[in-house]
Amino acid sequence: MIGAYNLTVAFGAAQALRDVSFEVHPGDRIGVVGESGCGKTMLGLAMIGMTPDAAKVSGSLLLNGTEMVGASENSWQDQRARRVAMVFQEPMAALNPIKRIGDSVMEPLMVHFGLSRKQARKRALALFEEVAIPDPEARLKQFPHEVSGGQRQRVLIALALSCDPELLIADEPTTALDANVALRITDLLARLARDRTMALLFISHDLAAVARATQDMLVIYGGDIVERGSTADVLSQPKHPYTQGLLAARPSPWNVREIGGRRKRLPTIPGSVPSLANLPTGCRFAGRCPFEISRCAAQKPVEREGTICHLPEAER
Amino acid sequence: MKRLPVNFLIGTAFVGLVVGVAALSLIWTPHDHTLLNIRSKFAPASPEHWLGTDQLGRDVFSQLMTAARNSVVVALTAVFIGGGIGVSLGLLAAAIGGLVEDFVMRLADISFAFPTLLFAIMLAAVFGPSLTVAVVAIAFINIPVFARVARASANQIWTREYVYAARAAGMGRFAITRDHVLPNIAAPVIVQATIEFAIAILAEAALSYLGLGAQPPAPSWGRMLSEAQTLMYLAPQLAIYPGLCIVLAVLGFSLLGDGLRDITDPRLARER
Amino acid sequence: MGYFLLRRTISFILTLFVVSAVVFAVMNILPGDPALTILGLDATEDALAALREELSLNDPIMLRYLHWVWDALRGDFGISHSFRVPVADLVAERLPLTISLAFSGMLLTIILALALGISAAANHRMSGDWGVMFLSQLGIALPAFWLSILLVMLFAVKLRWLPPGGFPGYSEPWAAVRALILPTVALALVQSAVLARVTRSSALEVMRLDYIRTARAIGFSRQRVLWRHVLPNALIPIVTIVGLQFAALVTGTIVIENVFYLPGLGRLIFQSIANRDLPLVQALVMLFAAIVVTANFIVDLLYLVIDPRLKTRS
Repeated sequence: MIGAYNLTVAFGAAQALRDVSFEVHPGDRIGVVGESGCGKTMLGLAMIGMTPDAAKVSGSLLLNGTEMVGASENSWQDQRARRVAMVFQEPMAALNPIKRIGDSVMEPLMVHFGLSRKQARKRALALFEEVAIPDPEARLKQFPHEVSGGQRQRVLIALALSCDPELLIADEPTTALDANVALRITDLLARLARDRTMALLFISHDLAAVARATQDMLVIYGGDIVERGSTADVLSQPKHPYTQGLLAARPSPWNVREIGGRRKRLPTIPGSVPSLANLPTGCRFAGRCPFEISRCAAQKPVEREGTICHLPEAER
Repeated sequence: MKRLPVNFLIGTAFVGLVVGVAALSLIWTPHDHTLLNIRSKFAPASPEHWLGTDQLGRDVFSQLMTAARNSVVVALTAVFIGGGIGVSLGLLAAAIGGLVEDFVMRLADISFAFPTLLFAIMLAAVFGPSLTVAVVAIAFINIPVFARVARASANQIWTREYVYAARAAGMGRFAITRDHVLPNIAAPVIVQATIEFAIAILAEAALSYLGLGAQPPAPSWGRMLSEAQTLMYLAPQLAIYPGLCIVLAVLGFSLLGDGLRDITDPRLARER
Repeated sequence: MGYFLLRRTISFILTLFVVSAVVFAVMNILPGDPALTILGLDATEDALAALREELSLNDPIMLRYLHWVWDALRGDFGISHSFRVPVADLVAERLPLTISLAFSGMLLTIILALALGISAAANHRMSGDWGVMFLSQLGIALPAFWLSILLVMLFAVKLRWLPPGGFPGYSEPWAAVRALILPTVALALVQSAVLARVTRSSALEVMRLDYIRTARAIGFSRQRVLWRHVLPNALIPIVTIVGLQFAALVTGTIVIENVFYLPGLGRLIFQSIANRDLPLVQALVMLFAAIVVTANFIVDLLYLVIDPRLKTRS
């Protein structure tokens, strides 16, 4: 079981993540949604101990009972790949260009588990099959630049899975890929989580992908978790004004249809995301929220029924 | 003043010192550097002789000052000549392009096969060692360096909007080169020149050390070191001063060049 | 890739020919009358005529050039005028020493530069980095011959641990090695300054790339990532610089041999200048220049081998 409790990541006075708490159990598939700069990537990095050197992490992060906040780099190295693994956004340059793909995937197996080359090769082949890489034998010998982006992402996933982690964090795994390749990768990740009873943290701003791959989701804005719940619930009945605005902004037949000769404008959330240093100290959404009342800016709301807001549900 | 990078300031200070002393030596030195006084040879530092005397009783400080002049003159002359030819070739290559460009650059590259020393050796074998040999040898290696810098920068300018406009207006290639290209490549060329000055001083010192540069009685830091080497056991300090002067001059130009580069190309300054 | 290889090889051979032409031209056309240069102004007419015959100076210039090249390709570099023995013999005699010095110098340079450069990159913005940057800046400004003198003054004069110069011959291997220690160190210290800087910036560039992040995310230690992932990739641009450094190596070897009175090819060149022995100088300069050109050619080829991305491109 992996749990974050009041996890805060700060850069001086600016907080990229504020008092974030949630738990992840084996087999959970959790989506983390938000705009660029809201802190979702930082969340992923914090869970694998790769936040930038300038970041100060506080609160509690338990990986199967071991406290990782303030842990040394060495302790993190023990946890990485074996307990927590991460797949990043850009597959293009994420593999060592002078190493054959097979060697790259075999390396952690030989280093962490002391497998021989032959054993590692067998495992690598099995992994390639698991992530549905066609013609795995041939792939092992190829170099990264010889395979397509989608294939590279699969290799990276295989690499992440090589040491059988309990949690796989996927940070925007489909953003850099073509639409149908993205779809397949999304489905692959969901299947892997189910088949391995592995937890999956799917970080993305692509709501459709999150809808497909996850059971539960977290919505992040300005470093706060503004809403959480099952994916189906959140997407169909959003409770937080930000989530509502986000979902309303998706192009759909209902909001772009012509009405009486005039096309409706796509609803957007007024204003833009303030920089980290300029976020309001209370509710982060203050200043852009259509339901804002006087205490929103100064006081951080308490979490109730899966969301944080000063107003009771009925009024939103 | 606070905005200027440290290396620029230190570089300017060192260079100013060396060039200033070299210029000063034209009109004044504490003693006549050629004055022999065997009786007071190897004298230690004193108010009379600030750094003592050498094996023939000559004042070391005055020698160092005059030698500075030598280094500066050789470096400036060689780099200007080599740079002048090199930049011209580079501009020509960029202006005409095509086969001419390839040919000119290939020609310039031949020089890379001849390190300065090797070229100086050839010339010295034929003409006998002299200051001119040193200058020509150093100039020779500067040609391809400047040709490359000039061509690369010029090629970038040739693709700019205002050059297209000038060509469309009927301006000739020579005129464009003179009015548009040349002013805009000044910055990288100057940066390169300062770095080449540093290299030139080092090269001149090496050549004089080996006896291929300035001949006696003209003093040079390199030759002072070679003489001091034979006297290592008697007067080790004589081997230290000329070396320090060389390091000061080279470091000065080198830091100055780095500083200028940081100033004129801030993109590079961030990750040095 | 085969096409690229062919073009490069042709370019290499052509460069060698052009270089040889330049050497020949400088040594034979510039002096006007080589015989006069060799014998000096006091030589008698008879002596000059005899020498001209001996060196076939009366033949047309192109013929002499072709003769020279043809002979050289068969290993005949003519007779040294001052030593009165074939140049090839002189070269063979002194080559081992020069090669030992150059080789060990280059080896030490590479080791020092890589170690310092990578460590500096790993300690970016911390004391280790600034230290290496400062030292390398100093190393670039330091004349090799001055450093040699300082090393000799410290280790030979003051401490008396090592000989101040000279070479005792190969009969006593330990003495021979001792004689080469200071020269090798002097050569390497100065050269590694430049290479360390290049290594550092190349390593820093690589460290910013995505695959290094992948390696960290997969639980590899910082050490492993640095030496097994950063370094091999950082080497690619460094290899080019090493090639360029051969010119400096040649220069450095010649200078160091003269500083330490080592009887190698470098000292031979100087003796030949003093003796105005043009045929010898010509042969030696050609030899050194050919080494520089060949080294650059080999480096270009090495590039193809190291970087798998190039194999599929050109």
